[in-house]
Amino acid sequence: MTGQPRTAAADVVVLGGGMAGLVAAVRLAEAGLRVVTVAKGHGSLRLSPATIDILGYGPGRVDSPAQALPGFAEAHPGHPYAVVSPAAVAMSVQWLKEHVDTYSYVGDPSANMLLPTAIGVPRPSAVAPETMAGGDVRTAGPMAIAGLGVFKDFHPALAAENLQAATAAYGRPVQARPVLLDLPSAGQPDFGAVGLARRFEDAAFRSQVAAELRAAVHGEETIGMPAVLGMDQARSAWTELQQATGRPVFEIPTAVPPSVPGMRLASALHARLRRAGGRFVLGAEAVGPQLSNGTLTGVRISSAARVAPRMCRWVVLATGGLASGGIEVEVSGAASERALGLPVHGPGPGDAGFLPGYWDDHPMETAGLRVDSRLRPVGPGGEPVYPNVYAAGAVIGGARPWREKSGDGISLSTGYLAADAILEEAG
Amino acid sequence: MEEGRHANIRLDAVAATAPIECEVLVIGGGSTGVGVARDAAMRGLSTVLVERGDLATGTTGRFHGLLHSGGRYAVKDPQAARECIAENIVLRRIAADCIEDTGGLFVTTPIDDPGYADRFVAGCTDTGVPVEEIGVAEALRREPRLNRRITRALVVPDATIDAWKTVWTCARSAAEYGARILPYHEVTAVTRAGDQVTGVVARNQGGETVEIRAQVTVNASGAWAGLLAAMAGCRVQISPGKGIMLATNHRLVQTVVNRCDMPADGDILVPVRTVSVIGTTDTLVSDPDDWAVTRAEIDQMLQAGENLVPGFAGSRVLRLWGGVRPLFQDHAPQESRDVTRAHAVLDHRARDGVAGLLTITGGKFCTFRLMAQDAVDAVCAVLGTTRPCRTADEPLPDSEDRHYYVLGSRLAGRERTLLDEQVICECELVRRGRLTDEMARRPAPSLDDLRRAVRLGMGPCQGGFCMYRAAGILHQTKHLSAAEADRALLAFLEERWKGYYPLLHGDQLRQAWLDDWIFQGVLDAGHLPLRAPARRPDTETAQST
Ligand SMILES: Cc1cc2nc3c(=O)[nH]c(=O)nc-3n(C[C@H](O)[C@H](O)[C@H](O)COP(=O)(O)OP(=O)(O)OC[C@H]3O[C@@H](n4cnc5c(N)ncnc54)[C@H](O)[C@@H]3O)c2cc1C
Ligand SMILES: Cc1cc2nc3c(=O)[nH]c(=O)nc-3n(C[C@H](O)[C@H](O)[C@H](O)COP(=O)(O)OP(=O)(O)OC[C@H]3O[C@@H](n4cnc5c(N)ncnc54)[C@H](O)[C@@H]3O)c2cc1C
Repeated sequence: MTGQPRTAAADVVVLGGGMAGLVAAVRLAEAGLRVVTVAKGHGSLRLSPATIDILGYGPGRVDSPAQALPGFAEAHPGHPYAVVSPAAVAMSVQWLKEHVDTYSYVGDPSANMLLPTAIGVPRPSAVAPETMAGGDVRTAGPMAIAGLGVFKDFHPALAAENLQAATAAYGRPVQARPVLLDLPSAGQPDFGAVGLARRFEDAAFRSQVAAELRAAVHGEETIGMPAVLGMDQARSAWTELQQATGRPVFEIPTAVPPSVPGMRLASALHARLRRAGGRFVLGAEAVGPQLSNGTLTGVRISSAARVAPRMCRWVVLATGGLASGGIEVEVSGAASERALGLPVHGPGPGDAGFLPGYWDDHPMETAGLRVDSRLRPVGPGGEPVYPNVYAAGAVIGGARPWREKSGDGISLSTGYLAADAILEEAG
Repeated sequence: MEEGRHANIRLDAVAATAPIECEVLVIGGGSTGVGVARDAAMRGLSTVLVERGDLATGTTGRFHGLLHSGGRYAVKDPQAARECIAENIVLRRIAADCIEDTGGLFVTTPIDDPGYADRFVAGCTDTGVPVEEIGVAEALRREPRLNRRITRALVVPDATIDAWKTVWTCARSAAEYGARILPYHEVTAVTRAGDQVTGVVARNQGGETVEIRAQVTVNASGAWAGLLAAMAGCRVQISPGKGIMLATNHRLVQTVVNRCDMPADGDILVPVRTVSVIGTTDTLVSDPDDWAVTRAEIDQMLQAGENLVPGFAGSRVLRLWGGVRPLFQDHAPQESRDVTRAHAVLDHRARDGVAGLLTITGGKFCTFRLMAQDAVDAVCAVLGTTRPCRTADEPLPDSEDRHYYVLGSRLAGRERTLLDEQVICECELVRRGRLTDEMARRPAPSLDDLRRAVRLGMGPCQGGFCMYRAAGILHQTKHLSAAEADRALLAFLEERWKGYYPLLHGDQLRQAWLDDWIFQGVLDAGHLPLRAPARRPDTETAQST
């Protein structure tokens, strides 16, 4: 069923509410354009640890993304970083730091920190929340990794032991030992990261944790804790814990979704978007382009069992990759783009998308859109499919972000640049 | 009951330095082998069982899950049908906790021979399989997703049976009767003194060898029986018949649904706990370890499912696997499906002039108890003793109260402990205590062993959320060192990949991607310090920038 346009036309429709979509939407809205963001769901932002990983492996471990990017782009011509310049990456990082004010970020593309994961691997991230940065094993002293009672999503002993072995292999051994705090379960034996984060918003709970930490931690140790130190007041909870223990404290992202740091980042970006007057429509799905004589004049949006066009001058397509449904693989093995039906670069029907070994380089992993130098999705001939559609984030193919540690770096920089391109045209 | 009592048996993993002596040695830890070990131990014989992997990792752990009524064989193989219905009744009595009493339906779909149903009823009647015809409307009321174009529906006492639970409770019972159960012991040689088999040499996980001396050796190695017999210089002709199965992420039917026609590919849909399993195929293969699955076979199963339950091909497929049937025959195989499903006990003294070795082969999962009884009767004959078999009457551990398993059992158990315990695997509602109990019972559990033992990670997320937890708990409780926990996690990821990479698409692909983000992205398990270097090409060398 196709109705008449229900709402006033927007300048830009942003499809997708993940990192890429939100960054583009905030920029465009702050520049005064009328922006409507339409998102089927929340995307991966709330599931991810909120570190801005630019390039961690390429394939060897990268010490400086800024220095490694030109060579990496040359070696990977189909990669998003072949389109995004290192300078643009740096600008987008600067922009993010200025725009996430409730929750500060530290670091820049010139050097990767090595931040411990919940299983004790030092992971390269160029930019990270300040609450995590103290774990950087390049500089950190001895560590006490503190577990919270029977919290099932964080295992300090395994993390500490692996961290010690891993840093030894990296050439800078870090002493790490587990401590297990005995927290009252408050009649609730089964809690997740979000439940714990809420408890950290309570001053009495924080002081109890601080007291336990003081008793368990030695004078010279840095304290590593699961990333659950508060939700909206994370910064003050973290500062207070450092003061009360007299020791540096850092957060380690937990693995099982949802992610508390991811939720913090999402809410900071949403607050910015609201302040800038951008609209956010959740639970609506783009199902195709609205065309008029071959020109894209809007997007067909399905919401509450009704399909209606939303008119606009530009579209930012930030619907995510295979994880978020922006790109979907059918039974036949063919990959397709769901929102606008754009051509996907990747294995076709009958091609082997996946190889037998888990660690192999699977052809399907890099499936996604190909874009021109202005981030416009292109067809097989390299011509933009629509002159007014820009792609950002994981919907662009060519990367293996979870292996490269490049996910949010790509999304942030392409979201930023897609907005740039539109602002340029809007004059 | 679902979360049962567990006798405190511990299974040995370490080889004894001195040779082990026993009366009966069983090779193979599938349903047949543990059945033989339990029966022999219950008859007071000193018994040892060796299995090269974990228990039930051969064909038994890869089967379709069906406790046959015999209906499937009623027309084609009456002897197998008679055995099935007899054992169906026995197993309901002794292994109730392993069985879900789903009932079974044979339906005539548009592609089936309409005349078969009458022959089917006649065959069931002849072989003693209870059968009752119901109207199509009634069948569709019971199973609303069924193809609406079915023309006949016949009810039989099919059910589903849990292979892992059956095998593990059998093994526990055997151990309670004094048997030694040795998983991860691979037989590398069969020892002989002249024309007499005297036992075997086995190698354990640590690479040590152990000698086991037995008066009688029972070869219960399923599809591998020919290879084992050859080690003793004997000949057993097994035609390995490969079959594949696919599991979808929820129960599309509540009853075992069979096509009412001669057995064919993909003609049975089985509700197994929280999922549905379609199967199977039947192709002769030369190597029992070869169960590789092709894309064409997957498409064939999806098509076959579509015929039973329209829309099947669009459902979310969690996993696929294959198994190899141990079909015994004395002459060259033609078509795998034409070989009888009945079993045979072979005395190699009569066949090959080699004494002290028996092979028990053929059969089905659901006739394992009867197979064991026949085998141990033959053992007793060799030993010159007569001792009655009691396995048809004595229930397995956890089945004493004769309550069938019901789908809601875990949820009910969870409600009882809601305020005291954590759930480690949300998909399959595995409690922390259940997991740590299972860990305590095993010397060095792999995550895949735990998956089979408590269904950890068997649900829609396929371990995405629970495997980090399980690895952490295993390490924290000192069952595994950090290096072992890491390897267990990596081995799990690699093993799981094999079980679903050929069919990744749609929602299950999104799930796999989320899991890759968790393990490779957030945890960066690809750079764990103690990984075997061979696993991945793009490692470690720090790039000089
Ligand atoms: C568990 C997890 C861990 C991660 N860890 C890291 C990490 O450690 N480091 C790192 O750099 N990156 C990480 N990432 C990746 C990163 O968060 C994102 O994957 C990446 O930045 C992509 O963001 P995106 O904005 O392009 O897409 P997404 O965040 O995937 O958002 C896509 C959006 O589009 C919407 N959408 C999809 N289809 C439609 C449609 N048809 N109509 C309307 N809306 C639609 C979705 O609902 C969603 O809102 C992680 C991701 C996950 C899932
Ligand atoms: C696809 C398929 C579907 C099926 N569906 C059903 C069904 O629904 N219902 C039913 O009743 N039956 C079914 N069957 C049949 C049933 O699964 C088998 O008949 C039964 O499981 C065989 O058990 P087993 O113990 O004889 O063999 P296995 O379970 O294969 O046991 C043999 C064991 O010997 C071990 N072994 C091999 N070599 C050595 C060595 N050198 N040293 C030590 N150990 C060794 C193996 O590791 C293996 O664990 C199915 C079979 C297949 C293939």
